[in-house]
Amino acid sequence: MAMMSRIFASPAVRRSPALRSLLSGLWLGWQIETNWANPIVFITYFIARPVASLTILVVMYSVIAQDILGTPFFAYVYLGGALYLLAGQIVVGVSWVVIEDREHYRVAKQIYTAPVNSYAYLLGRGIARFAVSVLSVSITIPLGVLVFRLPVTWSAIDFPLLIVSTLLGLIAMAALGVIIGSYTYQITRQAFSVGDTLNGVFYLLTGAVFPIELLPEVLRPLGYLLPSTYWLELARRALIPQPVAFQAISSLNTETLLAILAGMAVVFAVLSVVVFIWSMRLAKERGVLDVETNY
Amino acid sequence: MTANYAIETYDLKRIYKIRGPKRKDDPAERVALGGVSLQVARGGLFGLLGPNGAGKTTLIKILSTLLLPSSGRALVDGLDVTKDVTEIRRRISMVSGGETSGFGLLTVEENLWMFARFYGLENADAKRRIDEMLEVVGIADRRRTKIADLSTGLRQKMNFIRGFISDPDIIFLDEPTLGLDVTAARDVREFVKRWLRQNPDRTILLTTHYMAEADELCDRLAIIDSGKLLVEDTPAGLKKRVQDEAMFVLKVAPLGKPVEGDRIEDVPGVQRLAVTDHDAHVELTMALTGEDALPGVLAHLSRRGAGLVSLEKREPTLEDVFIQLVGRRLTEAAGVEA
Amino acid sequence: MSTRARKATGITLFWRILWARAYPRIVGAWREKDWLFFETVVPLGTTAGFVFVYRAAGAPPEFAGFAVLGGAMTAFWLNVLWAMGSQLYWDKDGGNLELYVLSPGPLMAILVGMAVGGIFMASVRAVTVIVVASLLFNISYQVSSLPLLILVFLVTMAALYGLGMIFASVFLASGREAWHLANLLQEPIYLVSGFYFPVSALGFWVATFASVIPLTLGMDAIRQIIFSTQSNIGFLPVETELILLCFLAVILLALAWYSLRKLEEIGRRDGRLIERRR
Repeated sequence: MAMMSRIFASPAVRRSPALRSLLSGLWLGWQIETNWANPIVFITYFIARPVASLTILVVMYSVIAQDILGTPFFAYVYLGGALYLLAGQIVVGVSWVVIEDREHYRVAKQIYTAPVNSYAYLLGRGIARFAVSVLSVSITIPLGVLVFRLPVTWSAIDFPLLIVSTLLGLIAMAALGVIIGSYTYQITRQAFSVGDTLNGVFYLLTGAVFPIELLPEVLRPLGYLLPSTYWLELARRALIPQPVAFQAISSLNTETLLAILAGMAVVFAVLSVVVFIWSMRLAKERGVLDVETNY
Repeated sequence: MTANYAIETYDLKRIYKIRGPKRKDDPAERVALGGVSLQVARGGLFGLLGPNGAGKTTLIKILSTLLLPSSGRALVDGLDVTKDVTEIRRRISMVSGGETSGFGLLTVEENLWMFARFYGLENADAKRRIDEMLEVVGIADRRRTKIADLSTGLRQKMNFIRGFISDPDIIFLDEPTLGLDVTAARDVREFVKRWLRQNPDRTILLTTHYMAEADELCDRLAIIDSGKLLVEDTPAGLKKRVQDEAMFVLKVAPLGKPVEGDRIEDVPGVQRLAVTDHDAHVELTMALTGEDALPGVLAHLSRRGAGLVSLEKREPTLEDVFIQLVGRRLTEAAGVEA
Repeated sequence: MSTRARKATGITLFWRILWARAYPRIVGAWREKDWLFFETVVPLGTTAGFVFVYRAAGAPPEFAGFAVLGGAMTAFWLNVLWAMGSQLYWDKDGGNLELYVLSPGPLMAILVGMAVGGIFMASVRAVTVIVVASLLFNISYQVSSLPLLILVFLVTMAALYGLGMIFASVFLASGREAWHLANLLQEPIYLVSGFYFPVSALGFWVATFASVIPLTLGMDAIRQIIFSTQSNIGFLPVETELILLCFLAVILLALAWYSLRKLEEIGRRDGRLIERRR
């Protein structure tokens, strides 16, 4: 708290309303998401559910073939499943934040009438969800190494690639999150389902647990439009640089993937600002900014 | 078997244990009812008047079998509320103010049908009763409206039908006009009166903190405060208790500063005084031993520099009875600005 | 309103309450069609994901059928957690619980009504998932005995919703924690009950313990019946599983009845049935 006060008091933050809003969203999001006064909450959301989901995949494979653990294919699936949690959190997280603020905490009115940059605030809240999920992944991946012979070794990890791709992925995915969040402003009754529905659809399209080439041809282009597709593949290649035996997008090399992700970060960032401004204006016109569904 | 009384309670107590984190000196329990003895005759409307937190709702919850008493005895239609639960439930019903029961996606008539079936009514009988009561209450045109789309007033009218649809012998109305606008509250009161006229053998127990409502509806009335029953009589009988006194309402602006040792209450002939602060003036409601005490009061106000805006002599109300018994206005006790 | 209402008692009353409480769910399934769309897209997506995983791993085509069956059956588990377990808690919040308790019928009738309505709602979702996914992924079924399939399904539902009724009491008693409890029981149960693979893959002991959840044995039996050409996928023989499910149904329903009685007793004593009220 004392550190946060110092950060908020620093000249750079005081000069920039956008930065202040981003940090406020980040700080608030972190406070909400890390509400671990109750251990059952932490265990449920950050250990039990993700570990169970991953173990389902593990068992599915072991049903088909003996001794599949430790293979590159298994590593692909396990890492994809574990890392998708991060992607899903940020892509649909902003839409959850919109609903939470509007219908659960009922503070939408106060936020949008306060002198904050709403775009930066939402981005901050989304990034907080991502950051919290990192904790979960830092449990599920070592668990995979220890229990399921996941071939990740600390010394072999390509950290520069991991960091660069994650930063680019974060920008692109957070921007996509804001675009979806902007859409959430416009809907009321089904707002609660949008996040879950898109999370399920993206999981399918992005090739998290199976190569995207397996998708029917009509769906494949949608997968290629998602930044998470490239980030997941790059993160996997960073965590297990050798051998590159099983890849989602085997036809493209790492540099090309990075370039595509960088391009996407730019395009989605610009697009998200445009869509957000348009959506806020429309929401104000329609009077749905602080609507409550009363479910 | 027909019991002598619709409702009887004998030294009924209810103590709530206070759960959750509390400071060291916080009490561990709260007395909601501190020994209530009451007999309500069969037929007619009996009122319980008291501020919020007086114990009215607790009493109703015990009588309607939703809550067990901590000690004492309560009988409904001669049946014990702790033992004869199912038999009592067949004979009673309840409507609360601000109720949000039912399913929003069902229509008015579907919700009513569902609740009628909960009481075991036959399909045809349930439908006939719903039709009749929708007409009586004046919401027949809304029968196919989903209840999620009803206004508060219409929803409470539907709740009333819900309460009466099962044809109860005894019905508990817990602050039934709470939050309703004047017209909707009047409609609800009219409905209650009509139902009792048509069914003179049935009993209604009404709790309210609106005095006018209690005065208008109740055949007999008990005043309850802080879990204790203070008095029970007809509304007229209660008012008679303060009829020997002269009731005056004085509006002053400003009230002026009291002179040391010279308070209004000390003026000879002033029995009781209630002071209500309004934005523009202060209202003094006082009971005097007689009109001849008034000049003394006016002289006192003049001494302290008060400016008299209006002076009104009025008939005693239940409010005066409450002030006499409790020493403060009912509305103050309820936390409502008068 | 001169004539007195004739009110049923006993079994007739139970029956009338049951259908009255099932009604909003049965009607709701049709009235809120947009919900149905959203509620089927998610399981369809997950199901498709698992089908692709099996294909990627080079599993025999029947395995895709396991994923489809699991995806469909999640409808019932989610229904038990969210529309049975949490329902009384929400009903208390909305003011309905008080009226259920106040009415002369047993609370059990209300819960059985919720269950019947819930089974209907979840079945609409499950059938949609099965039909759409089977067409999409070209799944073929070899049903060994239709009457046996129906019997196993019904007994599984009786046991499962008996468990749901126990959850309803437990969740109501545990208040806000119920939300987390329901979340905690989602994916981990998909895992141990073998939603997407034959439960025997987890080994004898895990499968045995997981059999407390009726869907474990129920799905295992259904899998054996509808994919009858597959050998060695069952945990126990179908007949044994059916008998165990019958026992489970009786025990869980009896426990549900008992826990409801306890709940009402504690509720009346501590004032928990009414604590939200003024």
